[in-house]
Amino acid sequence: MAATQTNPLRVGLRQERVISPQCLVIFGASGDLTHRKLIPALFELFRQRRLPTEFAVLGCARRPWSDEDFRSRMAEALAEEVKQHQSAWQQFAACLFYEPVDLQQDEDVVRLGTRLEAIDRLRATRGNRTFYLSVSPAFYGSGCRALAAAGLLRDPARSRVVIEKPFGTDYASAEQLNRVVQACGQEQQIFRIDHYLGKETVQNILVLRFANTIFEPIWNRNYIANVQITAAETVGVEERAGYYESSGALRDMVQNHLTQMLALTTMEAPGRFDPEAIRNEKAKVLQAARLANEDEPWKCCVRGQYSRGGSPAMPLSGYRQEPGVNPNSTTETYVAMKLFIDNWRWQGVPFYLRTGKRLPKRLSEVVLTFREAPVHLFDAAGGSPTANQLVLRIQPDEGAGFVFEVKAPGSGMRSRPVDMHFSYDESFGEPSDEGYVRLLADAMLGDPTLFTRSDEVEAAWRLYTPLLELIEEAPWQLPVQPYEAGTWGPGAADSLLADDGLLWRRP
Amino acid sequence: MAPQLTLQAPLELPPAEVPGYLDRLWGEALQESTGAATFTLLVWEPSWLQQQLIRTGRIDGPLSGLLNGELLEAARQVVGEVGLPTSTAPMAPEVAWRLGQQAGDHSAEDLRGQFVDRAISAHRPRRLITLAPTLAADHPLETLVAAYCPLAEERSGSEDACGDVVVLRGGMGAIEQGLAMLQPLIPAELPCWVWWNGSMDESPELLEALAVPPRRLVVDSSIGEPRRCLDLLVDRIELGQAVNDLNWLRLRSWRESLAMVFDPPRRQLALDQVVQLDIDVEGNHPVKGLLLAAWIADRLGWHLQSSYWIHGDRPEGLGIGAEFQRTDGQSVQFRLMPVPVGISKTHPGALVGLRLICAPAGQSPLCVILCSESGGCMRLEAGGVASMELAEEVVPLPNESEEMEMARLLAGGHDSTNPLLAAAAPLAAKLLPS
Ligand SMILES: NC(=O)c1ccc[n+]([C@@H]2O[C@H](COP(=O)([O-])OP(=O)(O)OC[C@H]3O[C@@H](n4cnc5c(N)ncnc54)[C@H](OP(=O)(O)O)[C@@H]3O)[C@@H](O)[C@H]2O)c1
Repeated sequence: MAATQTNPLRVGLRQERVISPQCLVIFGASGDLTHRKLIPALFELFRQRRLPTEFAVLGCARRPWSDEDFRSRMAEALAEEVKQHQSAWQQFAACLFYEPVDLQQDEDVVRLGTRLEAIDRLRATRGNRTFYLSVSPAFYGSGCRALAAAGLLRDPARSRVVIEKPFGTDYASAEQLNRVVQACGQEQQIFRIDHYLGKETVQNILVLRFANTIFEPIWNRNYIANVQITAAETVGVEERAGYYESSGALRDMVQNHLTQMLALTTMEAPGRFDPEAIRNEKAKVLQAARLANEDEPWKCCVRGQYSRGGSPAMPLSGYRQEPGVNPNSTTETYVAMKLFIDNWRWQGVPFYLRTGKRLPKRLSEVVLTFREAPVHLFDAAGGSPTANQLVLRIQPDEGAGFVFEVKAPGSGMRSRPVDMHFSYDESFGEPSDEGYVRLLADAMLGDPTLFTRSDEVEAAWRLYTPLLELIEEAPWQLPVQPYEAGTWGPGAADSLLADDGLLWRRP
Repeated sequence: MAPQLTLQAPLELPPAEVPGYLDRLWGEALQESTGAATFTLLVWEPSWLQQQLIRTGRIDGPLSGLLNGELLEAARQVVGEVGLPTSTAPMAPEVAWRLGQQAGDHSAEDLRGQFVDRAISAHRPRRLITLAPTLAADHPLETLVAAYCPLAEERSGSEDACGDVVVLRGGMGAIEQGLAMLQPLIPAELPCWVWWNGSMDESPELLEALAVPPRRLVVDSSIGEPRRCLDLLVDRIELGQAVNDLNWLRLRSWRESLAMVFDPPRRQLALDQVVQLDIDVEGNHPVKGLLLAAWIADRLGWHLQSSYWIHGDRPEGLGIGAEFQRTDGQSVQFRLMPVPVGISKTHPGALVGLRLICAPAGQSPLCVILCSESGGCMRLEAGGVASMELAEEVVPLPNESEEMEMARLLAGGHDSTNPLLAAAAPLAAKLLPS
């Protein structure tokens, strides 16, 4: 969320929930994510005084660093912040430690246990531990197994494991990984990250729906005609080609982020605001979701891949020309699809999901379009009256908007649409915790609300299984269609809606 | 949350045998257990009010050291009977003192230090030491010890992260004599919290002896003579000690409500244009109100010019006035008034209302009024605010027990004082006229 002016009275008020003394163990401490995201987020929490004095970070990876090496590497990576807050960094760095650990060597993990006990005594961290697996997904399973074998997950109240994305690459692998992970500890100890859930405005979908009475009565098939969920990026694949080539938009964005937005938008009201109650409802609605045409999935899904585009002044290369990408790649950088949810609330309402790279705008939003008024009493200035729309904007300019018809000024009784607009920045003007700060804090607090549970992950993979199988077995039936970089995706995506007499919302 | 008696029956031992017994306990009986690397909690638990209410037969025992509805009800009744102003809070030391003047010799079982609130036990204190002074000054020293483990259903996994409980009971002389024995019982390598759960102006030498840095001190600046409360806070903060003030923590919802009003960026300019701040408090204890004012002044960069008593004929006592200078040189008028209330809150000096008037150049003035959930704040709503843009909020009452607040402190914890309190306390001390 854009940082505007800060409210001097707000400083220090975020301490409602207290992070307990603990040791955060980061596997993959020498990797990219640690110095780019995790340590900056922890330093931020430290400066906000939200980490207790009895706290330690133990970095682990294979390379033989010392505590001092780890501290100085992190200081280098955060040079800018360190310069600004030197004394805070000195204090923070004193709680950074390092232990060389190869997750595939059991004796290393046993030695880790001994080191952790020493840190408990040194820092009075109460035997509380959060293990963060910031390593290649190939090690998620074996990492958990090693931790369990060393007895480090025995106490479910005082140990938890955070697992980065992606969790599996399809239903079978996710189920398999769940089986391994669940054999190592209880579900309550497992925190599967979905970065979208760390966004304030994604969480706001819940609050908007369930803290207000005006929305819930109309939040169903009787009033809602269709729902569009969009996550558009302007960037290309950048330096992630290696990973992206094997993943593609469906796995990278739809299965997790868009599906989470779908679940929050469509779930039933939980009985109470309790992580398990919320996750129950999310899992239930995902289990009721299905592709609009499961037998012929190519009829309800479009895949695309960006080709050269841009302007002569700012040419954009095509996906196949990006460094590290196979020149014949059939990886999709765009997906659009149509889903249904078979339950009382949503029967028959189409849900359209789309995401892509190199689209004209960076934005994420959920748009609920309401049914038309039963009788058109007034002439619309623009031809036909615009249906009411509720737009939940996730980024940028987070907020909500409501489109409705009013009388056009002048003589006569013509109607025209207007937009009622709520913006986070205008109302709060306060940067809220974003992404890793929020997710790390919640994991260390042991609050699983913003993490996905095994059944949710599996239901999400199951939902897209017909597509993944089709791409695997008969890719010619769902070819990637080129679209010019900087446009709103292939024309076939428009036809997907045109067949239902609809248009994508042009934001 | 119902308090838990999580102990096996504690063992009464002669004081001299306690250290040896505890050593043996950890060495032999709990051989497999290393003891949790957590913390020590040392509590000064005089519970004078509860003791006096029991002695005068107004409530039944046992003597637990915990506040409950029945106790507060009985104390409010005493306020009326002995002719104290109705705004007198049950926890005000004069209530217990007045009861002390009355006859009675009822007694009850003394279980202080043996109740462990579940919110606290969930953090598995390594050692919980309670000093439990008795009304009878000549009561000899009694020491009770027990190994303690969380109740079965709280225990998770197979690790025995256990702690122990030590109670020192006796007259004041006996407690002082027990001090020497106490010091070696506090593991030096673990953090130690000292919870002064009594009036800040009683037994200064004892407080001095218990609350040595780097132990973390927990006090309640609503209990005790205001000058002494503030000076003690300031002294300790200056010493570099971690001081936690429950009275300050209870301001959280007021701070949150006020911050909320100024969240919209269009309102934030008004914060630079404050011309007047009024705070109403219950009864004759200004510390909480002063801490709130000092926090606002500090956050907005105001400088204190002068402060003075405001005389009147109120039974609640004197008001306090002050003038601040804003960063742009303009002045801000501050007034804190004690107001009468029908039913007082538990602690002295609870906030009734706050009014902040901002006069941005070229715009109509903004008047912010915050009111406590339980009462009106008619005084602040009256008088010339009709022409202003009004932002009115109701501040929810905190519904947490002392033990919950304490548990929250123990849940995290810092070895230094919260910087906001560290900045507000000295200013509050200056605001209190001499
Ligand atoms: N980077 C991002 O922005 C990002 C975003 C979202 C999700 N993720 C996820 O986060 C995880 C980490 O990403 P990354 O970009 O930081 O990866 P990375 O830069 O490749 O780092 C991998 C780390 O794992 C360590 N490692 C490798 N084998 C190990 C073993 N057997 N035992 C212990 N440590 C081992 C490596 O250190 P040594 O070579 O010293 O052992 C290195 O520190 C991945 O799961 C990724 O999917 C990353």
